[in-house]
Amino acid sequence: MPRHDYQRQLERLRGNVLDMSELVVERLELALDALETGDEEVIERVVSGDDEINQLYLDLEQDCVDILALQQPVAGDLRFIAASFKIITDLERIADLATNLAGYARRIDVDPDAIAGLRSIGETTIEMVEAAMSAYARDDADTTYDVADRDDAVDERCEQASERIVRDLLERSAADTTEAILDEVSIHLLAIRDLERVGDHAVNIAARTLYMVESDDELIY
Amino acid sequence: MATDGDKLITTDVQTSSTGRIERPDETVVASQQLDVYYGDEQALDDVSMEIPENKVTAIIGPSGCGKSTFLRCVNRMNDQIDACRIEGGLRFHGKDVYDDDVDPVALRRKIGMVFQKPNPFPKSIYDNVAYGLRVQGKADDVDLDDAVEEALRGAALWDEVKDQLDSSGLDLSGGQQQRLCIARAIATDPEVILMDEPTSALDPVAASKIEDLIADLVEEYTVLIVTHNMQQAARISDKTAVFLTGGELVEFDNTNKIFENPEHDRVEDYITGKFG
Repeated sequence: MPRHDYQRQLERLRGNVLDMSELVVERLELALDALETGDEEVIERVVSGDDEINQLYLDLEQDCVDILALQQPVAGDLRFIAASFKIITDLERIADLATNLAGYARRIDVDPDAIAGLRSIGETTIEMVEAAMSAYARDDADTTYDVADRDDAVDERCEQASERIVRDLLERSAADTTEAILDEVSIHLLAIRDLERVGDHAVNIAARTLYMVESDDELIY
Repeated sequence: MATDGDKLITTDVQTSSTGRIERPDETVVASQQLDVYYGDEQALDDVSMEIPENKVTAIIGPSGCGKSTFLRCVNRMNDQIDACRIEGGLRFHGKDVYDDDVDPVALRRKIGMVFQKPNPFPKSIYDNVAYGLRVQGKADDVDLDDAVEEALRGAALWDEVKDQLDSSGLDLSGGQQQRLCIARAIATDPEVILMDEPTSALDPVAASKIEDLIADLVEEYTVLIVTHNMQQAARISDKTAVFLTGGELVEFDNTNKIFENPEHDRVEDYITGKFG
């Protein structure tokens, strides 16, 4: 096959994007652990590790620009670069959300009853990210639809969890000051919102992958 | 505007009130199941394609795929090759250019050509451009000075040569010579300009001037260009035809479709450099 170096550059980029996604998922799992345990060491690992993700993002962005400028990809190769360029942005944002989640653990003790719900939603969104990246790795269009389909359920669970957390915390914290209650409620709601956004980014990755594989923008919105 | 002298054939054809040949649609040149043979070797295989008016249509493909053969069929340049045999249809405004009553010389006035290597005549810049008008016998009917200036302006060369019109065309740079050839081609008021790798012998700056010029030319002309440079095809053309080995037209579509999402795997493999 001609253009060996070029083909190797494309495969290297795909491998590096997948490596970045594994790192991001690892940070997300640690963030859920941090919410549950409040372990400062785990929190610090997620928060301080964000610089590493940001650098990785910048490096991969430069790799995409270099390939565009020097190799002038077209057709499927062009869609692969365009999709990768967008996907690394979603991965970087997921890492930011993981940093947020870990940071919340510093501000409050997460309600023990709430943590089970947060972890359950968080694990579902992690599965969505992994499935979307698996589709990207294998040029698998079918899986991209599965990821998009799961997002509605995540949204619904986030809404239910928000209502429950507000109700439970208000009832249990009657003795606390209004300020303390508001702080605790808002942090819990922010955590739910961030997890819901992780799901949205997983859908974005799936949408860009579908475009990459089949030039179909159906999931891009 | 067309005149009697512009007619391709000796018999009457349908003309509009303005004297131009009627155009049922926007297609200027259309091939229908076109086969071309050089002796026993088939160079084009069942090629059907409609070239739209006032657009740049690029033909790309590997060496020997028949793209230049197709180009040369359009204004019957292949007539000069004895072993060349053509079957199927090739129409210019609906009239088959290979009909017995078509005058190839008149056809080439309406379908001009620019070649890979600039080929100005060993004459002055002025005479290079005026040549076609004189051959057509139009020199007495038009203000030759005005016609030469208009053609040189149309080829984006006027400002560079207006003070040296008596100099030899051969003294110009390669890029200027190619634009002189384009001026010569448009001086006779063609409708279609065929270009066979017009920038392959030029440096990038001269090539980019030709590309800019092509973008301007389609305001008035239809351009059909053969190029080995796929990025050039992507940059300058509205439609792209991909010929592959065996003289087969594999895909013909809008250029962005070809370069973003071609229908055929063979086209994808070719344009991404996986073969060829």
